[in-house]
Amino acid sequence: MKRGERELCEAAVAALGREAVISELEQLRTYECDGLTGTRVVPALVILANSTQHVQEAVRLCNTYDVPFVARGAGTGLSGGALPVADGIVISLQRMNRILEIDLESERVVVEPGVTNLAVTQAVAGHGYYYAPDPSSQQVCTIGGNVAENSGGAHCLKYGFTVNHVTALDVVMPDGSLVQLGGKSLHTSGPDLLGTFIGSEGTLGIATQVTLRILRKPDSVCTLLAGFDSVDGAGEAVSDVIAAGVLASAMEIMDRLTLEAAEAAVSAGYPAVEALLLVELDGTSDQVEEETERVLEIFKRLGASEVRVAKSDAERALFWRGRKAAFAALGRVSPNYYVQDGVVPRSKLPAVLRRIGELSEEHGLPVGNVFHAGDGNLHPLVLYDASIPGDLAKAERLAEEILVACVEAGGALTGEHGIGTDKACSMPLMFSKDDLAVMARLRRAFDPDGRANPGKLFPTPRLCGEVPGPYREHPLEKAGRAERF
Amino acid sequence: MQNVSERVEPRSAEDASLALREAGNAGMSVSLDRPGGEVVLSTARLNRVLEHEATDLTCVVEPGIRLSELDAVLARHEQRLVLDPPGDPTVGECIAQAMSGPRRHRFGAVRDLILGVTVVLADGTIASSGGKVVKNVAGYDLAKLFCGAQGTLGLVVRAAFRLHPRPETTSTFAVELVRPRDARPLLTGLSTLNLPLGALDLLWPGRLIGLVEGSARVAQAQLDAAAQALGARHVDNDIWERSSERQLQAAGVMAFAPSDLGEVLQSEPMALIRPSLGVAYVERPIDSPQSPGLIHLEERIREQFDPGRVLVG
Ligand SMILES: Cc1cc2nc3c(=O)[nH]c(=O)nc-3n(C[C@H](O)[C@H](O)[C@H](O)COP(=O)(O)OP(=O)(O)OC[C@H]3O[C@@H](n4cnc5c(N)ncnc54)[C@H](O)[C@@H]3O)c2cc1C
Repeated sequence: MKRGERELCEAAVAALGREAVISELEQLRTYECDGLTGTRVVPALVILANSTQHVQEAVRLCNTYDVPFVARGAGTGLSGGALPVADGIVISLQRMNRILEIDLESERVVVEPGVTNLAVTQAVAGHGYYYAPDPSSQQVCTIGGNVAENSGGAHCLKYGFTVNHVTALDVVMPDGSLVQLGGKSLHTSGPDLLGTFIGSEGTLGIATQVTLRILRKPDSVCTLLAGFDSVDGAGEAVSDVIAAGVLASAMEIMDRLTLEAAEAAVSAGYPAVEALLLVELDGTSDQVEEETERVLEIFKRLGASEVRVAKSDAERALFWRGRKAAFAALGRVSPNYYVQDGVVPRSKLPAVLRRIGELSEEHGLPVGNVFHAGDGNLHPLVLYDASIPGDLAKAERLAEEILVACVEAGGALTGEHGIGTDKACSMPLMFSKDDLAVMARLRRAFDPDGRANPGKLFPTPRLCGEVPGPYREHPLEKAGRAERF
Repeated sequence: MQNVSERVEPRSAEDASLALREAGNAGMSVSLDRPGGEVVLSTARLNRVLEHEATDLTCVVEPGIRLSELDAVLARHEQRLVLDPPGDPTVGECIAQAMSGPRRHRFGAVRDLILGVTVVLADGTIASSGGKVVKNVAGYDLAKLFCGAQGTLGLVVRAAFRLHPRPETTSTFAVELVRPRDARPLLTGLSTLNLPLGALDLLWPGRLIGLVEGSARVAQAQLDAAAQALGARHVDNDIWERSSERQLQAAGVMAFAPSDLGEVLQSEPMALIRPSLGVAYVERPIDSPQSPGLIHLEERIREQFDPGRVLVG
């Protein structure tokens, strides 16, 4: 241990107690990466915070010793957001896992950031309520991590993302001070700092208390499956459902490769088709009945095969099981895989999927497609074999080219996994120098010393080499026919 | 004596950028879409619908367009931007003042519907954030930052929004409510029915009104359910105009935890209340002091975005 680090460690123990400080290399290794396991860094110290004051103390120490800090929830992030900084402190929020208040009359729940996403729903389910954002990792991931990533789930198509369900935050600022944003009321004045903080990936401060909106469980839910002879066909069905004015709570598509892998893994009873569309509807029973009729009509008109309607909760769970197991299932048919996360305007789905097919051919690597079709959020899984020299590099290039295709189609670099370290160098694909410079101004307002989670989100020369990839003007934009965001 | 201010009406982001730089260089203050600055930058000519992708349920517009004008365009495809603040403001005003109306109950406020912005800062920098897709977590969400910023951080020159389908029918029910102690049981009863209402306003004292949107059959079923369980009566949709007027004429806005509704009813002789949001539009000015930490943070953001204090709030 370096001298400065020893002093820091002693100061941390003095301020927070021995049981809150981890400094043994073996134990520090537990924190060396998040869900992006390819990149690892051992931090100088890990602090296991158990209160807001603890977090403030830890952050003040970072200021005194001039070292950075990285907040950490459950470490399920997929973009390297919780990757430690070598000489810095990791502040783990997992011990802050108490549900502080359940206010049913207000339909609000107040929690510490280390509470898992699913625990919120479990705490209110008995009263007929649930917490809407449902990332697939919900059994493990924390509300603090959800806030930092603005996480969504299959049902965010109808109900929105974390940002639409958080009404208040206590934030420990990078200087150690505490700021409260929002309240149980949705009325606030001034710029929407609550909304600005959510999705900032731990770079603006640490959330130590979160107030969430809970919703009544819908009376009626209907889940449907339909097979199509092409992914385009399934995509057309999605567009038609939307055009019919039906606001489904989820619409998911799996292609043949994914479908077969999922079926082999969990035996969901899926039909053998080129593309499978899963649609879920919820609301009052009349509404669901009527919408189900409309969706079935659309399926029929488009010649869908194997249309099924779940008749019980058990059957619905079965429909979802394969979808939820899709990533892991592809992991069983391929030694390694990389999950890409890109977004395209829904209308561009067919074109971009075709492009992904071409790229897959070009690079000679299979790509499985499973995606949140309703909101154009693609999760192409690039399958490769790390034991074959050059395969990993090929997979990375292919994944990057898929992103380029998404951005060129008017989409975005990430729909839910965040930028983190993984995509920091891709930011210039979507944002100009000025765009990034203005984001950096916001960061300076919160964190003038760059102490909170440095090296994430922004492309830096250290991370990306001297010349970060060029920002490409879209041809339409060049011609003045379309604007970029 | 009042100085005559210069009015500039840019037609593009570049025009606006130039105007802001010139004003800054000349040491003149600028107000955005309102009086107050030596230069008034108006979005009157930045009022186009740039894109309406009906299949994607999204649109991209300039800030000077009024909600009614935008609605007419979206209606061609049976769609709508579900923002219903009183007084037909422009999209830019909605963003700057974080406006909302009764349908916030179900659809959220501007900050929930906005997908991306392009802004021009006081020093002329043109920058974008977000995008035009409904799901996107790349980079900071400056669109949210500009919601409620009152034009102190820069001029929004373009904004993308998420749209919703127009409902086939719209109808309204009303339930009598005059005693504060009846409010909680009524709201609990309504909540138990679990109706996906488009809006829920309390015209206090008097009645609770609910907006039912959907197909004729589905809407009727909801009206029936409310009638049976709560004695709700079907009333004319015009009643929402009363709600709009009250919101517009309110002297103050009160924020409260929805569970504290009872206390609000005790203290306010008259108000327009959105019970699920915890917002009451009341007849007296409300002083809601901000914490020093928050004031300090907002100051630092202004310092970064407009260090020369060219923009007047
Ligand atoms: C199998 C699997 C499935 C997944 N499915 C989904 C999905 O469906 N939808 C989706 O959106 N994501 C999904 N994810 C990604 C991930 O689960 C989410 O991003 C989640 O919100 C991360 O939470 P966490 O507690 O693990 O955070 P971590 O990984 O520990 O941290 C994530 C980021 O948040 C920051 N952070 C953590 N806590 C705080 C805090 N209290 N204050 C400030 N910053 C903080 C960290 O610094 C880091 O930058 C999935 C991941 C896996 C492994």
